[in-house]
Amino acid sequence: MSTISISHLRKAYGPFLAVDDVSIEIPTGTVYGLLGPNGAGKTTTFKCMLGLAACGAGQIAYDGRPLAPSTFERIAYVPERAVLYDHLTVAEHFEMTRRAFKKFDVKRAVELVGQFGVDPAKRARALSKGMKTATMVAIAFAREPDFLILDEPTSGLDPVNQRSVLNLIINEATRGCTILFSSHQIGQVERAAERIAILQKGRLVLEGAVDDLKADRKIVEGILPSDDFSVNGFAADKRIARVDKQGRILRLTVVHEPDEIASQLGATGAQGVRVVDLNLEDIFIGAVAPDTSNAVVVEGAN
Amino acid sequence: MPIIMTVDPRSGVPIYLQLIEQIKRSVALGIMAGGEQLPTVKQLALDLTINPNTVARAYRDLERDGVIETSPGRGSFVRGDGAAQTTAQNAGADVARESFENAVREAKSLGLGRGAVREIFAASLDRWLPEGP
Repeated sequence: MSTISISHLRKAYGPFLAVDDVSIEIPTGTVYGLLGPNGAGKTTTFKCMLGLAACGAGQIAYDGRPLAPSTFERIAYVPERAVLYDHLTVAEHFEMTRRAFKKFDVKRAVELVGQFGVDPAKRARALSKGMKTATMVAIAFAREPDFLILDEPTSGLDPVNQRSVLNLIINEATRGCTILFSSHQIGQVERAAERIAILQKGRLVLEGAVDDLKADRKIVEGILPSDDFSVNGFAADKRIARVDKQGRILRLTVVHEPDEIASQLGATGAQGVRVVDLNLEDIFIGAVAPDTSNAVVVEGAN
Repeated sequence: MPIIMTVDPRSGVPIYLQLIEQIKRSVALGIMAGGEQLPTVKQLALDLTINPNTVARAYRDLERDGVIETSPGRGSFVRGDGAAQTTAQNAGADVARESFENAVREAKSLGLGRGAVREIFAASLDRWLPEGP
């Protein structure tokens, strides 16, 4: 068992509400992606999860229990910016980690940095940004953790090494490790994550299984019989998040039962009705766009 | 024989559905024979760099549909009793039916009548499935 539960987390810095009532459940062995624009509250959420920032309100639980000193033996964290001592070599960082964590496997760490082309004899100050990231990743993964919290674990890496990190994540998940990671590279989240949460301005705006979100959320388009055709019925439909109408062209952003909506649109006599798939990037943009709170009719100039 | 699969994670089609479709296609075309072993969930997840639970979900659905069978500790195999092929071929018919449905709906919404649709269908049949000598 290695579940993570965040419930009603809230964290303010002065008047700025960085995280506002966020609840996320992550079952054992899940790779969970956290997405959001810059400043959405991802890093603050991680810091609260690790006790690096005090929660303003709400609870964080690992296997149902709050964070305790013994939990740190089971959690590995890769921060957004590598934390390494400039004057120490990579191997010396491994030695330091070995002394701090019982399960740290030095051989595995050396093998992992080797995969990324990092020489363990090099001092941290001589490493490129990507190599620093790789070193942090190697240290975290060589600890055989039950929980992995990864804040932008591929930053500065080339595409081949980014893919290596994703495969390491996948490998850990098959071992039963529970992984929460953030990335601005939506394509990576789309591959590796089973579930995602999207944060915006500290609030959770969308949560679900990636495959289910893709199956449910589609664009349904069609050409209405006339310019003044009423679309109020669609605007009132809870399954439709957004209605865009420009002259006779109608574009519906559907969040549930897209095929059903397409049939309904067809039944109005609309022509050229089609259902357009959305990928995670489209879904992300849709979720963080300023005016998706409810059905909106946008009457463009025609 | 290793199965060759490609998924497009950036597509709007759920990855587990892409996997199901490709495995059914491989079985229907005989690329994967009855009794053949599938890669483990972990192996396929790493080969394609996709989430392992997504692969597991595809395998579960394929098992439910009677295309593969999984025995704990041994792995997943294409069903050897011919049922897999029948199911996979039926799945092929389903795909074709859905494509026809979409095409006819599109034709109707563009104002084409029964006669015009029949003509297109006949031309398409002549091109791709001509009657034998």
